[in-house]
Amino acid sequence: MITTDELQINIGPQHPSTHGVFRMLLTVDGETVVHLEPVFGYLHRNHEQLAEVNTYLQNMPYTDRLDYFNSMANNHAYALAVEKLAGIEVPERAEYIRVLMVELTRILNHAGALGFMINDMGAWQTPLAFGIREREKILDLFELVSGARMMCNYFRFGGVVRDIPDEFIPRMKKLMIAMPAYMDELERLLRENEILLARSEGIGILPREVAVSYGVTGPVLRGSGIAYDIRKAEPYSIYDRFDFDVPVGSVGDVYDRFLVRIEEMRQSRRILEQIIEQLPDASGGHINPKARQNVRPPVGDAYARVESPKGELGFYLVSDGGTKPYRYKVRAPSFINLTPLGDMCRGYKVADIVVILGSIDIVMGEVDR
Amino acid sequence: MSNDTLTHSVTFTEAPAALTVVVDPTPQIARGSAVIVERRRPKAAGWSLLQGLGVVVDHWRKSFRKLDDPTQIAGTFTTEYPEERLPLPEAYRNMPILLFDDATGHELCTSCFQCQRICPPQVIHMTQAKDPETGKPVPAVSEFIIEYDACMSCGFCAEVCPFDAIKMDHDFELSTANHPSLTVHKAGLLRPVSYYQSIAPTFWAEAEASAYKKLEANKKRRPASIGIAPQMIEQVKAAHELRDDQQEADSPPAPVAIAPALDAGRAATPATASAAPAASDGDLPTDKAARLAAIRARNEAKKAAEQAAPAQAQPAAEGAATALTTPDAPLTDALPAASERTAPPAPATPDAPLDEKAARLAAIRARNAAKKAAQAEEE
Repeated sequence: MITTDELQINIGPQHPSTHGVFRMLLTVDGETVVHLEPVFGYLHRNHEQLAEVNTYLQNMPYTDRLDYFNSMANNHAYALAVEKLAGIEVPERAEYIRVLMVELTRILNHAGALGFMINDMGAWQTPLAFGIREREKILDLFELVSGARMMCNYFRFGGVVRDIPDEFIPRMKKLMIAMPAYMDELERLLRENEILLARSEGIGILPREVAVSYGVTGPVLRGSGIAYDIRKAEPYSIYDRFDFDVPVGSVGDVYDRFLVRIEEMRQSRRILEQIIEQLPDASGGHINPKARQNVRPPVGDAYARVESPKGELGFYLVSDGGTKPYRYKVRAPSFINLTPLGDMCRGYKVADIVVILGSIDIVMGEVDR
Repeated sequence: MSNDTLTHSVTFTEAPAALTVVVDPTPQIARGSAVIVERRRPKAAGWSLLQGLGVVVDHWRKSFRKLDDPTQIAGTFTTEYPEERLPLPEAYRNMPILLFDDATGHELCTSCFQCQRICPPQVIHMTQAKDPETGKPVPAVSEFIIEYDACMSCGFCAEVCPFDAIKMDHDFELSTANHPSLTVHKAGLLRPVSYYQSIAPTFWAEAEASAYKKLEANKKRRPASIGIAPQMIEQVKAAHELRDDQQEADSPPAPVAIAPALDAGRAATPATASAAPAASDGDLPTDKAARLAAIRARNEAKKAAEQAAPAQAQPAAEGAATALTTPDAPLTDALPAASERTAPPAPATPDAPLDEKAARLAAIRARNAAKKAAQAEEE
């Protein structure tokens, strides 16, 4: 009689579809995953300790490098934390510019995330090219305002570094007009695709109770059917001025996360349209002229969080009254969303775990810090 | 749509969690609502694949159309880099550069150390220039180093610079097989103002007036050729050599005064109160002026002796150049230390000429030779 035994294998740390240096320690029974242990730390670069020897402003470009897909959202969360700590006010126009950049970031992140997820399914490069194409156009806009495509370093305490140039809004309006066609096209290409359905439906189900108990946020949580969005739950900046819906999934599988991301792109576009409409009437400049960049916040602590495209991104700062943070802590959504990977993968085939990992949308720069 | 329309069947080896996640009755959300995303099924087997293929074919068909407007989603808008290039936005930032005035060759940098202080990865190193005559700091840099290989292009240096002397370049084709060449020295960093004006016209238009006003003020405090870009030194050399000669012809009073001042430094006799270097301190009390004169004379003598020493090793021009351009070395003698006030005069090196004038000449020659060597190395 043939006896079978469980086998331990490693996926990673340099597997091409692991989105960075990440290892998964698998225990498999044949093709079925019995246990999965995520192992991180390969990309650790001492981000939090480094922040304690830098001044508050010097940390801003380092936040770009956390989740390098969404440098604007990272900048926003950090700027909010410092502003809360130091009591800096932000002019209305600056708030609009900030939200504009952050919503563009959400579109580009989801476009990239969907492309990479489908890449992981084996649809090598073609859907990714469709996602990346739109991302590039938004990066061009970022380059126009901030001077860099990915490491924007655009936000400052009390506003943004410089006002948007004159050619920005016309270019953005053009992009806004083309965007629905792009999203329709992406859906036509993928939404009902039978291969995608076969690989994603009922795969990697994260029940809502499990999602909540792990502290999962962002599209992964909403895919599990919980309408929790910090922009609605605790409106920061000027998010209480915009009409937009929160898409939620009904099953909590990979397909729901895919659909939630597509819908979020549409909702972000809705917000952007409202911003373009309201921006000319906004008062104030691009930065609070009284805000000192060389801040010395009073003794105390502050936590500020934003709905980054990947989930709740929070910065916790403790000030001892000096020019450098006494303690600097990042609540990174990729890291928290990665922890239930073992639960999500249990019982599925080895080929599925790569897709499940892709559907979480992680960036290792943020996981390991 | 709710989850009961989810009619397709899913089979698991061990069903981990059933497809029975119940969604809350739509929660009330301010200015919007929670919408459950629609899970569609293909109309017929294979239909969706054809649909997807249609998208691809559509793009292929449109790819023959060349577009000027890259916001459109279909069509070709390839830019044939390196033959063609997209215009870079003015705000584009790659690596920091230093600016100098086209007309006079004067560098805008005054070595205020603001950029060095703010640089997050700490890749900027500079040395403040000193007047060889008096040893006093001059608002100019003698050496400026940026480690391009570690620069993160954040642009803070350009943002904080109060003199608009450091700006972000648009040149991104910096790849090289020679890693040490990415530690860029002053001669490699300097660009004329007209260059920056060509890449960022509106940014420079905003900064121009104040930048030139500050430069004019600083030029007055820069003796001889200090603060002139090495690229421009040939062009302004003739004029400056003339001035140097004149200075040397006028200088005899100073060295004459130095010798007694050395003794005066210890004894602080009011007799040397009229020493030439103290000319600008007319309204100081006499004994104070005398002490000041003595201190200055002593510092100068000491500096001359120090600078004369490397002159012995001058044939090894490379060595001198490295000494001048090593990031750490020049920082130590950036400022004439105030603490030296009470210290005895530095013992002269045995080989150093005892005659003060000869020592100073040797120092000037050594400095020029080292500068030339540095320049040659840069080129």
